[in-house]
Amino acid sequence: MCEIITITSGKGGVGKTTTTANIGVGLAMRGNRVALIDTDTGLRNLDLLLGLENRIMYDLVDVTSGRVPYKKALVRHKRFDSLYLLPTSQIRDKSAVNPEQLVQLCNEMKSDFEFIIIDCPAGIEQGFKTAIAAADCAIVVTMPEIAAVRDADKIIGELGRADKENIKLIVNRIRAQMVEKGDMLDMADINEILSIECIGQVPDDEFVVTSTNKGEPAITMKDSLAGQAYKNIVGRICGESIPFLKPPKEGFFTRLKRLFGML
Amino acid sequence: MSDIVKIRGLKSGLQLLIDKNSSFDAVKSAIEEKLVAGDKFFIRGTTVFVDKQIFNETQVEELRTLFRRHGMLFSLNLPKVNQQVSRVQENSVSKVEKEPAKPTVVVNKTLRGGQEVRTESSVLVFGNVNPGAQIIAGGSIDVRGSCRGTVHAGAFGDQTACIVADKLRPIQIRIADLIARPPDNMKKAVQAERASIKNGYIVFEPILR
Repeated sequence: MCEIITITSGKGGVGKTTTTANIGVGLAMRGNRVALIDTDTGLRNLDLLLGLENRIMYDLVDVTSGRVPYKKALVRHKRFDSLYLLPTSQIRDKSAVNPEQLVQLCNEMKSDFEFIIIDCPAGIEQGFKTAIAAADCAIVVTMPEIAAVRDADKIIGELGRADKENIKLIVNRIRAQMVEKGDMLDMADINEILSIECIGQVPDDEFVVTSTNKGEPAITMKDSLAGQAYKNIVGRICGESIPFLKPPKEGFFTRLKRLFGML
Repeated sequence: MSDIVKIRGLKSGLQLLIDKNSSFDAVKSAIEEKLVAGDKFFIRGTTVFVDKQIFNETQVEELRTLFRRHGMLFSLNLPKVNQQVSRVQENSVSKVEKEPAKPTVVVNKTLRGGQEVRTESSVLVFGNVNPGAQIIAGGSIDVRGSCRGTVHAGAFGDQTACIVADKLRPIQIRIADLIARPPDNMKKAVQAERASIKNGYIVFEPILR
């Protein structure tokens, strides 16, 4: 049984690719056979986040145009044997792959994998339509910020138009302190507007930046709060019910230091 | 080709002046050509008027579907004279009341950003109207949820139309020919409200339901 999940958002820069990399690694850490497909042709990043850039031989466009079988283009992850990446072309653009080709590719790959995760490009144009064509489930990533929520709303509408009813939400880069002060949208506000099932609340975490630069997703790091949140998301995708992380309490000394302007 | 159909701008829409000597097919293809060419006159929601005497009923129906497909309204009732705007409006209001009521359009889902409902009748939404969504109704609008989009009731001149929502916080609200927007720092809605025209202003008032 293979599940095809598309990670999408509408707005750029909210963390689609980061989420794809982390969920992919998380599912592979649990022993699933996972394929990640990057459909952001021309602006590929997923290979960087996984640290696999220098191992790419062929890409998605080579596969969909029939030049090589998909198995030749898959790049195995260096640490997790059951995780594969199908990178896309950096040279071509979104018009190089059409929805029918991706659906056909996913049908071929289905028998070999338990999860196929598709990283969708930003926007609602052809790249988006291609990326969602094969999806059984769509995960919409957003941030606690009105522009990102507005675009997520639009994307949910577009997914509905494409008859994708299984839609989940991940809210990324939450800053607990700002939410507490009322400077940032809180989960209640977001849920009221988007009203779809939320499977993850990921705190803003510096580890994510360093791990991106190193090519090792945050989920592999023990001390990372975001990594913990991603682990929980992976659990929820596998059908477990896990409560959401509580934002860490600010300690007495931290508050005292802040009072004296030391932070 | 373009001489068969001429466009004249009116205050309330566009009038098509049609050459009486040409065949219906020629007229139709001329109109279609103009529509497809994306002439800047043909903005969605514009009413297009054509003189009554020119076409028979089936031809009128054909034209009506053609215009509707391009998002425009079609009418045979030419507004009398441009100067007498007030009288024309009165006429159209009383006409709306005389016509048999059209069935309400029911929307059983949340309207999300970029989605639009456009109808000549009233609208009932079971769900929210999110920011960026749009409802344009000839009659009234009732939202069983929160209304944060753009709503236009009485879009064809019905000043008695009203807008009701459990949480009425639209980006912009229009009733008949009036436009209003909420003040920049409006409080969160705590109960259902109804917006209607009173003394030439759009007024919000709390209601029970």
